[in-house]
Amino acid sequence: MADWMSLKWLLWISLYLVLGVFVPWATSLAWAHQHGSNLRPRPKQLFERGELGLIGLVLGISVIWDLLRSQYMPQTIALGSVLLAVSGTMAGTVWIETYCRQSTGVSNNPERAWRDSRNLAFLVFSMAIVIEILLERFAKVAAS
Amino acid sequence: MSAPAPALALAPAPRRTVTVRLADAAFTVAFLSLIFGLLLVFFPVSFGQIIQASWQHGNLTVALMVITLTVDAGLYIRIAYRLSAKPTVLAATCLGSLPILVAVGVSFCLQGAVDFTLAGDLPNLQGRVGEEILAQTYLGLVSGIFLPFLALRLLQQFKATRSNRETVSPSRNTAPVKY
Repeated sequence: MADWMSLKWLLWISLYLVLGVFVPWATSLAWAHQHGSNLRPRPKQLFERGELGLIGLVLGISVIWDLLRSQYMPQTIALGSVLLAVSGTMAGTVWIETYCRQSTGVSNNPERAWRDSRNLAFLVFSMAIVIEILLERFAKVAAS
Repeated sequence: MSAPAPALALAPAPRRTVTVRLADAAFTVAFLSLIFGLLLVFFPVSFGQIIQASWQHGNLTVALMVITLTVDAGLYIRIAYRLSAKPTVLAATCLGSLPILVAVGVSFCLQGAVDFTLAGDLPNLQGRVGEEILAQTYLGLVSGIFLPFLALRLLQQFKATRSNRETVSPSRNTAPVKY
């Protein structure tokens, strides 16, 4: 049976989703309302320069920190940290690449930047969820 | 004599090769990762026991190899089909060898972690070993699918950059600059 009391990771990940995705979107709507503008950006328009990749990178860093503080063996910590760092870096690279393309006038496809950053951020989010579940399980085993 | 225009129009266009984007692999890995997480939440004991039993019988590494190779091949064929593009030898080499190397590497890593755990004077050794196996299985699964595509993407980018450089400055190879 599932242990619903240990679903702290759900609250933790939703904090990132709310503060990293929903709040910026709501802020843009509030700004438009305050200035009497017709601007109604969708999340896709707001994050079309690959900003989701940057959020993914920040999330990856926090999970690496949790892994480093865990009681897992060094091999597991190293493997998990490297994998998260690589995924997070690739997610963040989408944002950097889009910025460089826009700044230098090289052809840029916002649709592709949005899709790449969304998928890579989804990867980092899902990895973060599973690793937090594993950390929670390990903490219980180590405490017993 | 130049070819007539209709003949040129009817000539089959050369099929371009598959260009892998990391986002294609990322979505599949993320989806599999979520399934792994759901199994952990809904079957916390039995799922862990299945993986531990598999490791004890020596089947875990082989299972990892089979799963990652199948997913990688399926993903690559799907991308090729969607783009109507031709698979390359480079991709076949990468996707055929890297999942096996990753699975073997993870199994060594897991063995090291288990030995390290058993050598330490720690409470609840069996539980700790079980959790190490579970964590390394998950990390092996993700890296076995994602890393070959990452390597392939970087190799393709490297090749593209090199050919671009050669196209932009062909004089480098033909006429050396005299000072």
